[in-house]
Amino acid sequence: MPSAFDFPGGIHPPERKQRSNQATLIDAALPSRVTLPLQQHSGQPATPCVTQGDQVKVGSMIAKREGMISSDVHASLSGVVTEVSATHISIEGDGHDTWQRLPSIDWQYEKPAVLLERLNESGIVGLGGAGFPTHIKARVVEHHAIHTLVMNAAECEPYITADDLTLRHYSSEVLEGAQIIARLCGAKNIVIGIEDNKPEAIEALKQALSLNQANGQPIDVELKVIPTRYPSGGERQLIKKLLDLNVPSGGLPADVGVLCHNPGTLLAVLYAVRDGQPLVSRVVTLTGEAIAQPGNRWVRLGTSVRGLLEQAGLNTLALNQVIQGGPMMGSPLLTPDTPVTKLTNCLIAATLEELPPAPPESPCIRCGECESVCPVALLPQQLHWYARAEDDKQLERYHLFDCIECGACSYVCPSQIALVDDYRDAKHRLRQQRIEATKAEHAKHRFEFRQARIAREEVEKQARKEARQAQSRRTPSSSAAASSGEVDLRGLRIAHAAAKASVRKAEKNLARVAQQDPQQPLDDLETQLATAKENLNAAELQLAQAQQQPTPTPAPSPSQESP
Amino acid sequence: MSMMHASQVNDAKPTGATVPPTATLMRWVIIATLPGIATMSYFFGLGVLSNVVLAAAFGLAFEAAVLRLRRRPLRSTLNDSSALLTGVLLGVSLPPASPWWLIGVGMIAAIVVAKQLYGGLGQNPFNPAMVGYALLLVSFPTYMTLWAPPQGLLPSGLWAQIAGRLPTAQLDSLSGATPLDAFKHKGEAVLASEFWATNPLPDGALSAWRWVALAWLAGGLLLVFKRIISWHIPVAMLSSMLLLATLFYLSDPSHFASPLFHLLTGAALFGAFFIATDPVSAASSRRGKLIYGAGIGALVIIIRTFGGYPDAVAFAVLLMNLCVPLLDIYSVPRPTGHESPPGEQP
Repeated sequence: MPSAFDFPGGIHPPERKQRSNQATLIDAALPSRVTLPLQQHSGQPATPCVTQGDQVKVGSMIAKREGMISSDVHASLSGVVTEVSATHISIEGDGHDTWQRLPSIDWQYEKPAVLLERLNESGIVGLGGAGFPTHIKARVVEHHAIHTLVMNAAECEPYITADDLTLRHYSSEVLEGAQIIARLCGAKNIVIGIEDNKPEAIEALKQALSLNQANGQPIDVELKVIPTRYPSGGERQLIKKLLDLNVPSGGLPADVGVLCHNPGTLLAVLYAVRDGQPLVSRVVTLTGEAIAQPGNRWVRLGTSVRGLLEQAGLNTLALNQVIQGGPMMGSPLLTPDTPVTKLTNCLIAATLEELPPAPPESPCIRCGECESVCPVALLPQQLHWYARAEDDKQLERYHLFDCIECGACSYVCPSQIALVDDYRDAKHRLRQQRIEATKAEHAKHRFEFRQARIAREEVEKQARKEARQAQSRRTPSSSAAASSGEVDLRGLRIAHAAAKASVRKAEKNLARVAQQDPQQPLDDLETQLATAKENLNAAELQLAQAQQQPTPTPAPSPSQESP
Repeated sequence: MSMMHASQVNDAKPTGATVPPTATLMRWVIIATLPGIATMSYFFGLGVLSNVVLAAAFGLAFEAAVLRLRRRPLRSTLNDSSALLTGVLLGVSLPPASPWWLIGVGMIAAIVVAKQLYGGLGQNPFNPAMVGYALLLVSFPTYMTLWAPPQGLLPSGLWAQIAGRLPTAQLDSLSGATPLDAFKHKGEAVLASEFWATNPLPDGALSAWRWVALAWLAGGLLLVFKRIISWHIPVAMLSSMLLLATLFYLSDPSHFASPLFHLLTGAALFGAFFIATDPVSAASSRRGKLIYGAGIGALVIIIRTFGGYPDAVAFAVLLMNLCVPLLDIYSVPRPTGHESPPGEQP
């Protein structure tokens, strides 16, 4: 047994993986039409680049990424674009399944920039369920040194076996994908974390590893088998368990030099690089008591969930709900007429008996079970009280935003309280408040800029007026001097210096934030800088004007004035 | 949204803790009191059983009455069995065949005042049964300190209970004393050895109390084994009792009672497994539970040794209930990815 460190808490829910891990991984039937949502990833939705009636092949780009965090979408079926809407693109298949591939890349010799661009144009996102664009993730090396690539094959949620089956069938391909990513991010080690309830996948990995060892692989790979315990597949929990590193609150694994990837993603990376094949299909676990042929399938993105389940022998009478994802963190589909997306790792066609609805909740009896299972060592019970009381200060103080929503607390609660729902609602409310507060702050800054601009224009007008007056009088007589006799030269110099300092400060702020987080919008900081510049201009003008005026009273010596 | 729930899966691995719903938890605790109740009834007569029945009936009646006044759902709340449990726990704490009105007053304090006025299940800062007990102890000391001598299943006491009087057999103060009581009132001058030599207790009283304590222990172990309660509070409470009692005993065996005497007489084991473990009024974190339990154990020994009352579980529990909000703040774990626990954040 390899050494393993531990994260707090955790639970052992029934695994129910047997149902879907018996059959081999096969291709689902080619759908006659697909519906591809423009948002199948975290970040901004993609922008369509095809119009209705366009002919597309499998792999043709149909929507382009929009903004910093986003991902391209490709046709998963060859045929005709039948609909382009604000949310999705539909394609009617021609039945030929003709492909359009990018040229193959020899990743061992090609430059990282080329590999990165390939990930970008292949529309690859994390296939574990979060859907973070892989090329953005790979770019963390611009700010962080990465020493270890972790392959997250824990697959700790009940029911799901997509990674298990992927590894059984494609272990050497997944390992090659891991080598590509490790090379791209400069990792010195690859560590595979896998729960001990997947002996076949572990065996397949071992064989692939010994084969690779014989062939001489560039980067060392270590296989770590960990005891089955939910949620060991949480990114932070796995990193703690495998490497004994604590990812700081609010930070990323990259902060401790680690990058985490799911086996499915690594396989997609290999296909994109070696075969020039964009992300157009994925492995989906079809399971639940309401289907007759459970198992894992290669499914074209955009395939209808209903069609897919019907292929697997759906018993509509027994079906109570279809859950996308696992029973702990997934969510019930409102309707099975939804497409499979890059985020769909598992579809559970559940009967009422296997996943009954939670009974009505009873009062919290403060038993503390939730606390003992929390993998982040939070206080779910306190968070529950504060969430219901909308006590935002305490919610922040008790680190609501560190909650990974794994559902372990809800699972053990004897009073059947939907704790995670409370936390999600509270998080949503707090996020909304933050957005409102930022908006108000930005509006205030824009107003300040406007005031500064008006003030500067006023000063300029004044200066022009005085210059005209001075010219018309011809003589720099005492009257002019008298009118501006009270000009406080010292005060103006101080104001000028202060304005200069605030410009410098705003510039520094802007540069710092732009360097730290290139994704962040900078408009607000730019507004603040512009405001400071307006103030400086006005101060300069006033000062210059005042200095031109001959002063009847002796001005204090410059040495005394410097602020 | 979690769609899996421990109380609703029956195929979890045996290694996984499955937590039954609250009502089932309460019922398990009631089941675990049966060995204790049976043993007590055997030694102290049917008066124990009638106490329990009366107190439970009062509990349900008062809970229903207050729920009606508060316009809360009646059936679902009564079904959680928490009022029933409070009745059982207070019932076994009272002298056998206590007058009916005594039990009624105790249950009003427990259910109406200590529980419902604070907002019902989950909201009460103090252990309801112990609030009832403490109120009765300070208000009706005569009725509360006289225990019937070990006797058969005599119905004469039951008649006195219904009539609201003390059973005549209990009027003899010596025969009605518990071992802790007798030891307490042995007087300062009397050495422990002299006390025991006078054979101060009715025949079989000491062994009766020991059997009762062991019956509570058996029920308590069942609860721990079934994972209805966690081991932290009982273990912490009993260890701290043993530790402190041993220290006193070793310092002066002629004046202080032996640790085993402390453990096996009075409400020590009953309190450790059935009273102190009430989750609502106990500390909630593991560390907090250990401190909470240890605090109760220490207070029990201190009050028994230096205080005015022979037994002290009720007061010790109530005093530690007072400390729970503080314990809950200062015993919190450090969240993953943070340098300090939330309590120490600015």
